[in-house]
Amino acid sequence: MGETIGDRIKHYEALLREMWAASAKYLGAFSVNLLVERVVWEVSLEYKEIELLQYDQNGVSCAKIAARLEENPDLPVEDMFVKFIARYVEILAKLLGHERAEEIRKKLGQLGEEFSGEPFASREA
Amino acid sequence: MERLKTGIKNLDYILGGGIPAYSLNIVSGSPGSGKTIFVQHIIFNNARNGLKSLYLTTISESQLKMVRHLQEFAFFADGLLGDRVIYGDLGTVLRKEGASKGLDYLVQLIKEHLPSIVVIDSLKVIRDLFPDEKAFRAFVFELAALFSIWEITAFLVGEYEEQELTCLSEFAIADGIFHLYGQEEKRFQKRYMRILKMRGASFQQGEHLFQIGPLGIEVYPRLRPEGEELQYEVKRGRKKFGIPELDEMLSGGLLEGTITLISGATGTGKTILALKFLFEGVQRGERGIFFSFEESALQLQHTARHLGWEVDKYLANGQLEIKFISPIELDVDKHAFEILDMVRGKKVERFVIDSISSFESSVSDVQKYRDYLWAIGQQLRRRHVTTIFTVLNEDLFSPLIVSRAQLSLIADNTIILRYVEDNSIIKKVLGILKARGSNHDKSLREYEITAEGINILNRLDKADMLK
Repeated sequence: MGETIGDRIKHYEALLREMWAASAKYLGAFSVNLLVERVVWEVSLEYKEIELLQYDQNGVSCAKIAARLEENPDLPVEDMFVKFIARYVEILAKLLGHERAEEIRKKLGQLGEEFSGEPFASREA
Repeated sequence: MERLKTGIKNLDYILGGGIPAYSLNIVSGSPGSGKTIFVQHIIFNNARNGLKSLYLTTISESQLKMVRHLQEFAFFADGLLGDRVIYGDLGTVLRKEGASKGLDYLVQLIKEHLPSIVVIDSLKVIRDLFPDEKAFRAFVFELAALFSIWEITAFLVGEYEEQELTCLSEFAIADGIFHLYGQEEKRFQKRYMRILKMRGASFQQGEHLFQIGPLGIEVYPRLRPEGEELQYEVKRGRKKFGIPELDEMLSGGLLEGTITLISGATGTGKTILALKFLFEGVQRGERGIFFSFEESALQLQHTARHLGWEVDKYLANGQLEIKFISPIELDVDKHAFEILDMVRGKKVERFVIDSISSFESSVSDVQKYRDYLWAIGQQLRRRHVTTIFTVLNEDLFSPLIVSRAQLSLIADNTIILRYVEDNSIIKKVLGILKARGSNHDKSLREYEITAEGINILNRLDKADMLK
């Protein structure tokens, strides 16, 4: 109770960092950076603010998103992060196989119950 | 693991189901080896299944020529262009703005089209734009990572010679390598493909023949005479010729699932004896195939009718099949595969190849010829098909020579047909040299071929065949 939007941003930032670290173990930092870039682009088609996510080969930061929220508290950041993480895990499942993706999803599930579900399928190869 | 089906005849079989999805594949070979047709065939097949491909050339004028040339193939479909098959130019950006901008441009194209397949033709041209090996290696590494992150199966085409495949950095980074090459063999200009690497797939190694025809690419998998193929159940049933004296000489007929060599000079009746074996089988309700390199199906039908063997109804109901391949067109790689393809999935019990001497004339070396026959023989044995190979012995009155190429080693049974001179009369003599697992008759018997068929006559006392 009484959780502020700032707390929620920190929560998602923790999830993203966990996800980044867990997937870098398999993909390497360079590829994780490319993956984040891809998902940012995809989610930005619906939520432009995701482009404020800062990332490089050392990790991710939500500082700019948090700052934008202070100016505009009505931004639908929760939906945006949920979509971002779901899409990220979905692509991972395709790249690494469902077993590895499931391990990452379980870690996320421990941090937030919204990610305890199955990753959904993406386009066919 | 997900697979990208190539849709090319027999290639997915060689690959164990297709190319692993999101892999980076290099298609290498000399100019004219068929690289472009190979990848184009794959992308058009996939376009028909709804997948989108981006084909990026690196030489600006080649695209026009390529499309003009591709129109000759059945796989090409004008309606797929621009929608499922998108052509683009990567070379101009790379040359004018460098590798980094080239990658940015590629990402831009990927975002715009979201392709499942990307082809870069040619990677060798891109390689030449880089100042050193290290920079090029970094570029290919970035390219590989980019494609996998965007769930793209990539084909990088390049004019590489075989000696380059082991030393250039792109081959270390690639998940899959298809090497296409051609060589002159006897009267054929032949094309071969080898899959040198395919991470995540248990593919069939070795040299596979392929052809480029109006349909595009057709691959004929290499026959594999491997140790595991030697494990098969031995049957104890017998297959009769329907010639009582001969069946008696063989202790009741040929053992089921064995290979029999019928060796003889021209005119001794090898074809007729083999045809009789099939005719006896179809009369017993079995299925038989006659693979002829010597006489056409019509000639064989005529011969059978002349001998009183009514084969027409069996040909009509498919119980008997006669396949004729002109020796001029005989390509052993292709037809060895076709022979086994005819047997697969059909309950064939009797099979004849007439003659394997025609096979030999189209193979560049004797060892390869033996390997093919060995592989065919093993596969037929595994399927319990009782098989006859006829072989021409060119010397009419020679001592007992089965064949020049020591083919007797591949046979379980050997029947010799030859001429002998007896009191200024030429007679035909038959002998069983070998019949594995049978206490066969060792005598030499005179025989004749008449309008009533094949008659085995008396034992010959003085044939002098073993001198």
